[in-house]
Amino acid sequence: MPLLKTTAITLKSRKWGEADRIVTFYTLRFGKLRGVARGARRMKSRFGSALEPFVSCDLNLFEKPNDTLHRVSQADIKETFPALREDLVLMAGAARMANLVIAITADGDPAPRIFETLLRGLRSLNEGHDPGLTTLLFQIKLLGLTGFRPQTDHCAACGQDMQVQGEGTAGRFSAQAGGLVCDACTRRRSERYLFLAPGSLAFLQQALRMTPEVLNRLKAGGQVRSELETAIEAYVTVVAGKRLPPVDFLAAEAGEPAYELKR
Amino acid sequence: MGVDQQGLLAQLIRELVRLPGIGQKTAQRLAFHVLKTEREEALRLADAIRAVKDGLSFCRQCRNIAEEELCEFCRDPKRDHSKILVVEEPSTLYAIERTGIYRGLYHVLLGSLSPLDGVGPADIKVHELEDRLKDGGIQEVILATNPTIEGEATAIYLTKLIKPYGATVSRIAYGIPVGMDIEYADEVTLIKSLEGRRDL
Repeated sequence: MPLLKTTAITLKSRKWGEADRIVTFYTLRFGKLRGVARGARRMKSRFGSALEPFVSCDLNLFEKPNDTLHRVSQADIKETFPALREDLVLMAGAARMANLVIAITADGDPAPRIFETLLRGLRSLNEGHDPGLTTLLFQIKLLGLTGFRPQTDHCAACGQDMQVQGEGTAGRFSAQAGGLVCDACTRRRSERYLFLAPGSLAFLQQALRMTPEVLNRLKAGGQVRSELETAIEAYVTVVAGKRLPPVDFLAAEAGEPAYELKR
Repeated sequence: MGVDQQGLLAQLIRELVRLPGIGQKTAQRLAFHVLKTEREEALRLADAIRAVKDGLSFCRQCRNIAEEELCEFCRDPKRDHSKILVVEEPSTLYAIERTGIYRGLYHVLLGSLSPLDGVGPADIKVHELEDRLKDGGIQEVILATNPTIEGEATAIYLTKLIKPYGATVSRIAYGIPVGMDIEYADEVTLIKSLEGRRDL
């Protein structure tokens, strides 16, 4: 059983068995990994709060042969983001980033830039940047770092260069096609398009180009933000293959009851 | 050699495997144990499962598991009916009850808010708590949600919900467990224990 050592960000943690947890990490050296932390829910667990979501830690794991579930042997906190535990809006923004990384990355496929971007995103939320905008920007950036970069230079359906449509023009965004679509494809295809004003389009292109370190310099409000939030939400749903838990989880509709009793 | 996949024994094993923490081998061992035990003893288990599903429901007031319309705590006139202690699960309620120091009422949320899983207030028994506050007479609400991200989210939400009703809201303290060496505590726990320090 080889020992893996890496820095990690805890994405999700769920109860398992009597006192254990199954934890999903995004690690710097090995990408997304899942591990079982024995006894993590016990009072005197050696893991403490290191396995709580949105905590960065130095992680030791034992790789189990023929099993994607590793065994967590040690986790020492490296960086915490206390504000994310004290504000529901910040918490929801961080949860969306974590859920997106879970949805768009493969197990054991290292991508240090995704790790750095996620870490930067959590820091930005913790530092008090506009949570809605930060969540939007880092979702765009995370999509851009994977194979799911929203296409803005070429038609996402036929590949035609979108520059010929002219600078400063509005665009039609197709979540199904994965980006902007040209006039000809808009007429040919039957799917629903989202209208992006020139300002929204320029903002999206800028967000994809900028490095995570300076992403928070971008500011947007009103129409730009609303159009891009709708477009990115639709695109994330297509990419993930399901609706991710909503950012506005407080308004979520009731799901299945936890207990199946007669009354 | 595996057990016949179609037979009655295999059916019992399949049902046992569905229980949390029970794997194929354990299920097989339990199934053979059931076969070896006396008929009455084995059927007592089946009857107990049936009785739980048929005879238990939720307390009309606190949503704890109850055999009657109200649970034993809500029915007890000796308890302090001006205090409510909020827990996520009935199992937490019984853990607190074992301490013997709390003599007020409870409210069981039957879950917790989770931004990661999209669990919102509509999924847990928040509105039932609000109804109790609207009825009046509640002076103090103690939040005993878990010190996890879900428990924190629930506590933050409930605090905002409860305060307009004029009741005092407090959260159970958290920090260093009794019997532990401080040097082994992690940063988050130490921060919380310093924030929650009390005058002596």
